[in-house]
Amino acid sequence: MASDALLLGLFLVVLLVLVAALALGHRVAFRIAARNVRRGKWRTVLIVFGLLVGTAIISGSFVIQDTVAAVDVHFTYQAYGFTDEAIYNDSVAQGSAPYAFFPSSVFSAIANRTATESLIAGTTPELVDSGSVYDRTSGVPEAGVTVIGVNASAGAVLGDFTYDNGTTTPGPLPGEVLLDDTLAGNLGASTGDEVVLYGATAVPLVVQGIVRDDTRGGFLGGNTAFVTLPTSQAFANETGHLNFVAVTNVGSLTAGVAHTGAVMSFLNTTLDDLGRPAGLQAVALLQNNLNAAISSAATTATLFLVLGLFSILAGTLLIVGIFVTLAEERKGEMGMLRAVGLNRRGLVYIFFFEGTIYAALAALAGTALGVVIGYVLLLVDTRLFAAQSAQVSAALFASFTVSGVSLLTAYVLGFLLAVVTIAATSARVSRLNIVRAIRSIPEPPPARRVYTYLAYLGALLVALGGLLFAATRSGTGDISYPLIGLAFVIVGGALVAARFVRDRYAFSAAGILLIAWGGTVDIHRALLGSSHTGTIFAVFVEGIEMVLGGVLLFVFNSDLLVAGISRLVGRHGRAVPVVRIGLSYPRRRPMRSAVNFTVFAMVIFTVVLIAAYGNGVSTSVARSVTAESGGYTFFGYSTGSIPDLAGDVANNSTLASQISVAVPVTYGTVASAPSGWPSPFYDAIYAPAVGADPAENFYTTNSYNFTATWHGLSAAAVWAEVASNDSVAVVDGNWAPGSSTILSGAHPTVALGGTVPLENPATHARSNVTVIGYMDQEFLTGFWVSPSAAAALGYSNFQGSLFKVAAGASTSDAAVDLKRAFFPYGLQLYNFAEILQQSVQSLESAIGLLEIFVSLGLAVGIAGMGIVALRAVTERRTQIGMLRAEGFTRGMILGSFLLEYSYVTLFGIAVGTGLALWLYYNATTGNPGGQFGTFAVPVATIATTVLVAYLLTLAAIAGPSWKAATLPPAEAVRYTE
Amino acid sequence: MASDVVVAGEDVWKVYGAGETEVRALAGLNVAIRRGEIVAVMGPSGSGKTTFLNCFSGLDDITRGKVTLDGVDIHHLPDRKKSEFRARKMGFVFQSYNLLPVFSAVENVELPLLISGVAAPEARERARAVLGELGLADREHHRPSELSGGQQQRVSLARALVARPSIVWADEPTGNLDEEGATQVTALLRSLNREYHQTMVVVTHDASVAAACDRTLKMHDGRLVPS
Repeated sequence: MASDALLLGLFLVVLLVLVAALALGHRVAFRIAARNVRRGKWRTVLIVFGLLVGTAIISGSFVIQDTVAAVDVHFTYQAYGFTDEAIYNDSVAQGSAPYAFFPSSVFSAIANRTATESLIAGTTPELVDSGSVYDRTSGVPEAGVTVIGVNASAGAVLGDFTYDNGTTTPGPLPGEVLLDDTLAGNLGASTGDEVVLYGATAVPLVVQGIVRDDTRGGFLGGNTAFVTLPTSQAFANETGHLNFVAVTNVGSLTAGVAHTGAVMSFLNTTLDDLGRPAGLQAVALLQNNLNAAISSAATTATLFLVLGLFSILAGTLLIVGIFVTLAEERKGEMGMLRAVGLNRRGLVYIFFFEGTIYAALAALAGTALGVVIGYVLLLVDTRLFAAQSAQVSAALFASFTVSGVSLLTAYVLGFLLAVVTIAATSARVSRLNIVRAIRSIPEPPPARRVYTYLAYLGALLVALGGLLFAATRSGTGDISYPLIGLAFVIVGGALVAARFVRDRYAFSAAGILLIAWGGTVDIHRALLGSSHTGTIFAVFVEGIEMVLGGVLLFVFNSDLLVAGISRLVGRHGRAVPVVRIGLSYPRRRPMRSAVNFTVFAMVIFTVVLIAAYGNGVSTSVARSVTAESGGYTFFGYSTGSIPDLAGDVANNSTLASQISVAVPVTYGTVASAPSGWPSPFYDAIYAPAVGADPAENFYTTNSYNFTATWHGLSAAAVWAEVASNDSVAVVDGNWAPGSSTILSGAHPTVALGGTVPLENPATHARSNVTVIGYMDQEFLTGFWVSPSAAAALGYSNFQGSLFKVAAGASTSDAAVDLKRAFFPYGLQLYNFAEILQQSVQSLESAIGLLEIFVSLGLAVGIAGMGIVALRAVTERRTQIGMLRAEGFTRGMILGSFLLEYSYVTLFGIAVGTGLALWLYYNATTGNPGGQFGTFAVPVATIATTVLVAYLLTLAAIAGPSWKAATLPPAEAVRYTE
Repeated sequence: MASDVVVAGEDVWKVYGAGETEVRALAGLNVAIRRGEIVAVMGPSGSGKTTFLNCFSGLDDITRGKVTLDGVDIHHLPDRKKSEFRARKMGFVFQSYNLLPVFSAVENVELPLLISGVAAPEARERARAVLGELGLADREHHRPSELSGGQQQRVSLARALVARPSIVWADEPTGNLDEEGATQVTALLRSLNREYHQTMVVVTHDASVAAACDRTLKMHDGRLVPS
């Protein structure tokens, strides 16, 4: 990191030295540039504000990355503490333990060897298992608890546990148990409570204390009971055995990991020397998880940065707009400078030096603003997530991190972006005709030869785009490349066509084609097939193409649009001259309007697309509660088989009134071998019991639906077939071809009527099932078969269950009572609605943050409008004076200004909104049931965004517009710049 | 006859600043412009010619005194009424033409009518007629940048006349024109005055323009001086 900073710093210094050298060589140009900067304080502020947005977006992304990485790293250290490396065998789970057991003598052999290694501070024998805990004092059970056995002496290397009152203990005492904060909270436990740990055996213990979820008590993520090693061995019924060795490197909590490379090498050699007893492996536990944490943070930052690209691009356009406006404003001066002998290069240098000064200031302010943005976003984030995890929120807020390298990188990137844009724009705006510039004569329309040059450029674009498209249109590569390729062909084609037909026809056609190509999934599939992969960058490419299309349509049809609006307003009344004046400027000067139009369209496009995505997925998930649950409230999983679930519920007076339906489900794991899938695919198998009571027969009463069935069978017919035919099955939605849900990741598919071989991985019992329906749910993934079909595969347990809570009964009370009643079986419950709701909340929080982040781009549009409006007041001063002399009231002047900027803003907003909804509509209808959710217009979000964007724009132009309206006519009419 | 007076100013003062920096741009002017007159206002730079035009037309406020136009005390009108009054009763011609560059000639000319609330088709018809009278029928769809200085000033004149105002105020109408253009515009002003009995006040430096007028008001240090 330090070397990165050094390189960046060096690069910046070289860049500044180059600019300084140029300034020394062109002192007159530099002096004029410096004077121009000081010419108007407010103008300089506005320009700097316009230029800083891009840098702020970059800087904000980096701050988020730094902080998210810091949080992830914080939790990684909390979860692994001083366990830098670990030795275990996780290839074979044993009972409820995640790792295979091995004799204590193996640990002794390892410990003897590691004692000689100076980089290892110590090794700790542990036993890691899972089970249930029942607090006899509070009466609350908890299943799915991690039970860790560790010696009291472990504190020497792993550190002491810290009680909630701040005192410490080296470890659990015999006959006692330490509960971490999470587990104690779940159990409602206090020090001194009597608890029973249920595993292979039941072990009664007394709570020694409640310990903090810190680097010791939060080991392996929390919800943990710490006991002595002998107690855990009794719990697991594995006397004299262990299954985990924690290795601690020398150095502090954070410094020890630096030795991981050398220690891992040593451990592997040791294990090899010992003959790899019990299949043990050395794992760089802390290092691997730290890497994963940093990678995850980088992914988050990339998402923000790519979505921020729209705003960065908008910022770049604004820079172009600002300098074009400055050039127009100074045209007379520039003509004079050329007339008195300054060559064109001199003009370029004036603009370049001036722009570089602005860029240096803006990059500095933008970097600082990005830090503020990052802080505010994380502040909002902590508020949003507070209800879900106070611990995460606190850590996030406490871990606000800004690294020097990130700040320097943001500054250099922002500065470079502005300087390069300014250099290119300066070269363009410095080309002028001296006489026309001095006398303020408008530039003539482009000569035919210009169209000829553009046609050559177009032909080049067609050739390059065609090559890119041809090379990437097939295969499984990134879809962005063929998308860009054909867009080049379309734009190039328009440039060539403009040489022969009117601009309007050529570029309107290109606009329509770009919108269609960018946003229509069916066209992509028709020309590219369905094999390409897509990333968030592809969405950026699609967005840019569609917005470019919209801009072309707007610019080259602006006169028709204005004529239409004028007709709408009518041909009578005093509004007519206001409309005429207000709409004439954007119509006659379309390129200036186009910049602001593009900025608004792009930013609103991103905001609406993100909002639509969030809304669509939320709607989809909300709608799917019924679909996912099949009408049930809980899915239960127990470590032991419950032999008479329905009877137990019926005979329990509390449960009988709370639970209306209880369905025992045979549950297991199968290795499937779907056609075309390279390796066995492990999935679950469910076989709900038919039951004696017809009212509770799963196969006739469940409300699970199907997205498709074999030969169009009805849902009832499909379930009847499953109940009666051992050779058929239905599968969750992930198995349907074309499904690409967020949850599924890489997933095999099977055709309706297709046969899938299934195998019990434990007993190797095999059978084939024919799939006759895709369920409209993806929560309980796997194959749903009859109980006899499951029995053929060796599964006849009742470890699964489905419960329906009676009308009027409390879901939470029912959950507690069910867990209490079936505690001996280790029953864990999953509430369908709650789980789906949590996922919606998380998604909505993330979407909300992204919306806020990309909305920052609106600042570009608003700044742009402010600058243009300010310039317009100066530029049109005499015209305003003339209008006032002719009888325009102040209100009419104000109205015409507001109308002019409203026209550009509202059309930009409308086009951005329309295109985003079009893209999202295509994405959802092109991938039904897929990751994009269900198409639904986020009316409230769009209305708020539009209103806020418009009101802020009005606020930005209100000052200049009012200034224009209140110009004293006598002064204005004779004004000379 | 009182009704013959279009514009009357009584003891009109316009004072800028105060104390040592006080400048008396108009110092107690008493002026009456009769209907159908074409009056030149002449004087050296800084004598108050343009201030005269601005204050008597209501473009600028006066410090003291009274200005009536068709009997209406224009400086006691609120801004909105004053604007509407200008739209109905006055036309303006300026040295730098002040045409809207984004409008064509005919669009520029019809604007005062639209401001007055005349229906768009009628406004267009009347604008075209005036342009035709001023010899610009073939230039009506040209934008100002596509017209010569003389043509632009004629469009400006057409715009001033199209609403048949009570008075046209012209501020250095030939100031930006070459000799030929200036002669043409002067002749045009005179002929319009004669043909339509259009009252005109022309602020000018040009003696030939003043010579074409019915009478000349000479100004010096904000006061009228004998010719």
